[in-house]
Amino acid sequence: MFPAQLRNELWKLFGKKRTYIGFAAFLMTQTVMLLIFKFGRPQQDFARMLSSNGYVASEFISALTVAVVMLMPQIILLMPLYATLVGGDLVAKESEDGTLRMILSRPISRVRLLVVKWIAGIIFAAVLVLVLGVTALAFARILFPWKGMFFFAPGMAFSVLPAGDGLARFALAHLFLAVNASAMLSVAFMLSCFNMKPAAATILALSYLFLNVVMESIPFFDRYDNWFITHHFRCWLMVFQNPIPWSQVFQSEMILFGIGATVFVIGATAFQVRDIKS
Amino acid sequence: MIQLSNVQKKFGQRVAVSDLALSVPRGEIFGLLGHNGAGKSTAIGMMLGQVWPTRGEVKVCGHDVTTHRARALEKVGAIFETPAFYDYLTGWRNLEILSHYTSPTPTQRIREVVDWVGLTGREHTRVKTYSHGMRARLALAQALLPNPELLILDEPGSGLDPEGIAEMRQTIARLHRELGLTILLSSHLLNEVEQLCTRIAILKQGRKVFEGQVSEVKAARSQVALKTPEFAAAAALLGARGLMAGAMDGRFIILNDGHSTADVTRVLVGAGIAVEGIWQHEQTLEDFYLSLVKAPPPIPKDH
Repeated sequence: MFPAQLRNELWKLFGKKRTYIGFAAFLMTQTVMLLIFKFGRPQQDFARMLSSNGYVASEFISALTVAVVMLMPQIILLMPLYATLVGGDLVAKESEDGTLRMILSRPISRVRLLVVKWIAGIIFAAVLVLVLGVTALAFARILFPWKGMFFFAPGMAFSVLPAGDGLARFALAHLFLAVNASAMLSVAFMLSCFNMKPAAATILALSYLFLNVVMESIPFFDRYDNWFITHHFRCWLMVFQNPIPWSQVFQSEMILFGIGATVFVIGATAFQVRDIKS
Repeated sequence: MIQLSNVQKKFGQRVAVSDLALSVPRGEIFGLLGHNGAGKSTAIGMMLGQVWPTRGEVKVCGHDVTTHRARALEKVGAIFETPAFYDYLTGWRNLEILSHYTSPTPTQRIREVVDWVGLTGREHTRVKTYSHGMRARLALAQALLPNPELLILDEPGSGLDPEGIAEMRQTIARLHRELGLTILLSSHLLNEVEQLCTRIAILKQGRKVFEGQVSEVKAARSQVALKTPEFAAAAALLGARGLMAGAMDGRFIILNDGHSTADVTRVLVGAGIAVEGIWQHEQTLEDFYLSLVKAPPPIPKDH
């Protein structure tokens, strides 16, 4: 029963056009960024930075380097938007459309329904990240050669990696990005379990994430970094460092799993006690 | 099949359903009537475990819905006022999705039900292309998939044209006749309820003001229509002679037990009052319903 229910949930999720807004937006953004990088100033700035550190720029301005550069702004700006858009829809949209009442006239428990929906949401998040990574690399490969990887992110030491190692780290980063997307989606999912419109769940989840970003950037809160979910989202960048700070990565992942589980329990509790009316 | 005992539901301070006791025996077509906001949908929500009662016990198929919801709803199908579907998916996919919330449903069973409701040939097109009537059939199909013993219909005729209403009435009768289902029907269409239901309950402001057989309603307080140019004088005379318990609307009289229309005619003609017509008027469900809902609200019991 569970696999059939999960399959059906995926049919519902991937059967509607709204689900693909995120994919389409990512593809468009990647194309624009790729063209800017190829023909604009960023490539010259990168080359200058590499040369000033004693590296041959032409060896490291590669598909892998460009793919990561393209990912960063999308992860910060677009991924929260599309993860919370889908997460906010999962329960609240069904409630708004009236299909939730149809489902709950059947003998499925509310908690089981939420588990199925949540897992479907996490699968969506993983697919979104996978498509994002694969297309970023594929697009970058069209215009840039397959060579070593140069990584630079604000607040982190830059690193230079051979192509094979770079690709492995790129893949690993996507595993952690999938956890990030799942955590974002889970926050919106929790809110959608309350009696509210899907848009309200999405906006509230985004507000929570942006509030974290703002507070994290205020120097006064530096010592409370670990309390901000967005601080832990940065662990995907750590896998490009040499050596990888595994303890920090592991800690952030555990905190993100904990947040995911906590918001699920809160959402499930709210959903369990609520009256479903037309 | 359905047993509600002392059920109350409050939304904040507002009491939606108060002290509701209801019993729907197996094999009945039971009508639930009431004005908008009378508490019908809330009562149905409680039967389906969608609305939690503030107090009282709700049993469906012998199981408490609050504590054993899954077992209580195993053999229940439901249709709501505006059946909602995943419009971007086909009718068939919708049936698969909804049926899997009950139990694994073989393809053959879906095919049978699609055929039974008359959707064969359109089941693989998207629901957004369906007419109102086809959506109603799809709603019926999803309700029938789990092989229910009890069917709960919440305003199923809402939005249908007269042809659709007639079709719905025939379908409900067919469900009862061919499949032997127990049916709870909440509706505003008094004519349909009168024709279909064997038993009814009427809710008013969250309280039950009547529960009984439709035949009782028709027989109760049988009225006599009296056509005369001097109705007031006739009523006064009949009252004085002890033939009449009351008069209504300047047209109807209610006779005391043991008196007939022949007695009335004899007395009136004997007193020189012209009688242009007199006949037994069978009370319709509408008359009965309106007399109840227009009456002052029932006095709440102290607790």
